[in-house]
Amino acid sequence: MPTGEIYFRHSLRVNDYLCQGCTTCMRTCPTAAIRIRGGKAVISDNKCVDCGECMKACPHKAIYIKQDDFGLIENYRYRVCLVPTTFIGQFDTKYKTKAIYSCLLKLGFTHIYEVEHEVPRMMELYNRYMEDHPEISTFISPYCPAVTRLIQVRFPSLVDNVIHVRAPLELASRVIVKRLMDDGARRESIGVFYVTPCAAKIAAVKYPVSGKETYVSGVINMDFLYNKVLLMLHDSDKNAQPINHALTARDVMWPLAGGEAVNFKGYQYAVDGLQNVLNFLEKLEDEAVDAPGLVEMRICDQGCVGGVLTTNDRFVARKRLEYRARLFERLENSKLRESSNEDNTLTPEWIKDMEIPDIKPRSIYKLNDNYAEAFKMAERMKKIEKALPGVNCSACGAPSCAALAEDIVRGDANADTCVFINPLSKTSKDAMNRIWGDRIKSNKEEQ
Amino acid sequence: MHYTFKIERGNFTDAGQASSSVKRTLKQLGVDPVNIKRTVVALFEAEINAVAHAYGGTIDVDIDGEKIVMVVADEGPGIPNIDLAMQEGWSTASPQVREMGYGAGMGLPNIKKNTDDLKIDTKIGVGTTVTMTVYLT
Ligand SMILES: Nc1ncnc2c1ncn2[C@@H]1O[C@H](COP(=O)(O)OP(=O)(O)OP(=O)(O)O)[C@@H](O)[C@H]1O
Ligand code: SF4
Ligand code: SF4
Ligand SMILES: [Mg+2]
Repeated sequence: MPTGEIYFRHSLRVNDYLCQGCTTCMRTCPTAAIRIRGGKAVISDNKCVDCGECMKACPHKAIYIKQDDFGLIENYRYRVCLVPTTFIGQFDTKYKTKAIYSCLLKLGFTHIYEVEHEVPRMMELYNRYMEDHPEISTFISPYCPAVTRLIQVRFPSLVDNVIHVRAPLELASRVIVKRLMDDGARRESIGVFYVTPCAAKIAAVKYPVSGKETYVSGVINMDFLYNKVLLMLHDSDKNAQPINHALTARDVMWPLAGGEAVNFKGYQYAVDGLQNVLNFLEKLEDEAVDAPGLVEMRICDQGCVGGVLTTNDRFVARKRLEYRARLFERLENSKLRESSNEDNTLTPEWIKDMEIPDIKPRSIYKLNDNYAEAFKMAERMKKIEKALPGVNCSACGAPSCAALAEDIVRGDANADTCVFINPLSKTSKDAMNRIWGDRIKSNKEEQ
Repeated sequence: MHYTFKIERGNFTDAGQASSSVKRTLKQLGVDPVNIKRTVVALFEAEINAVAHAYGGTIDVDIDGEKIVMVVADEGPGIPNIDLAMQEGWSTASPQVREMGYGAGMGLPNIKKNTDDLKIDTKIGVGTTVTMTVYLT
């Protein structure tokens, strides 16, 4: 794989023991980040956007997300579990949230905090940003970190359309840390652990685009925690409360596709699912759609309930959250919240902390920083592409013939890896001809 | 670098392949996003005109170190009055074309705005050739 400056890092890993080099993941990757080397899938750091598609597609369960050691929570006296409502959506509605939370306490946490409690403050941050940038017509929500990275690498001309505000979990962790410290806790004694539905949120915590400090001490995979809680739920009769105020129907729905956009004034759009996101960004880039207002975008179909670390069907999870939202409506939680004495203001420090100073374009297409050099490479690439058979067989270890052509001009692969150009033997050449017609080319392209 | 594409008469849904393909190359070259957008917008408008107002044709794109030259040539009725056609809002689009979401009379003015040089050669009853140039620097 190419070397040079690495500006993205990931928690996604390939288990070489399980990986069969079957090319399935490589073909699903939206940024052509995967190659087969030594018979195993290898992910390129600068191209991967943590969308999780490869992991969803792998038939051998060979791609996994490295998580922090659960024992890490023991290092803190105050152990806060920062949960998104997506987690609650994994459970049957017959279980009360209080019962689920009591299991979390039994597992060792001392406090529960629901991320979506910060929805009002997040909305204010978005609204402030939009008001401060009247020159921008289409704003893209920064909610899904995979979308932001995708824009950086594939649609760099749109980086300025992304609202430059950090993830809600960063705000939530700051709010909870302040609250505990106001109650006398020392900063070092507070550990905040986020329950993640995906790899993208982990990257957002550990390797943030903002380059700023995180208040999250560790990240726990949602499937891991789900299994632990499920085993305890049957005999859980305890009523544990989160320390935040009750969520409203609106808050519960926030991680779902459409749950965010609907709360904003003016025009809003909700785009979910990788293919839809790609299509929409492509059109935005070409100005083929006119979309003034706020665009909510989620890489996962149905939003975070479709995250790669969720355990239950996304449509079922969606229904369950809708059910709980209706329940909260009947309980008039929003009135409760309004009449409570909670402080929903943003401190100037938080406003500053939540800012992303700069989202850098990181084009994966650019062949060279020098135009003349890039031009030569592009010309050669075009020639090579023509010489390749165009069947995208992936036998060369690249996802497509175009990707191989690019690897060749970048110096990351040789043309002789193409089995069409360089058939192994007379017999294999005849066999290939029977299947593919006359697409086997002689090795002439590079003269 | 040279690219050629065919334009099919009346095929609105497949239009845009030329501009996508050119866009890919410009991204590889690291061309400034503003210039990429100008190129793509202009090429798409010219292609759509050949689909909507003529009977199809060809697109030729040449990229070199300093500029992108796009030639969209169609067989069609030609443009009787270019000055009029260049006016914002002036359109002879058929009701069917309007049905497809085109016909605001903004295409040619948009091409003018987005390119550094625009030349229209047209012959009534024969066809129209639109030559557009975008300078990279
Ligand atoms: N290739 C062409 N052949 C024949 N007539 C054309 C051609 N291109 C443009 N015209 C004429 O010029 C008019 C204006 O073109 P223009 O692209 O500005 O607007 P439009 O195509 O009608 O609408 P819009 O581009 O906003 O969808 C057209 O309505 C048509 O009469
Ligand atoms: S997570 Fe997405 S971008 Fe990264 S390698 Fe997998 S499919 Fe590609
Ligand atoms: S939609 Fe949600 S779960 Fe999916 S990648 Fe984005 S943030 Fe993660
Ligand atoms: Mg037009």
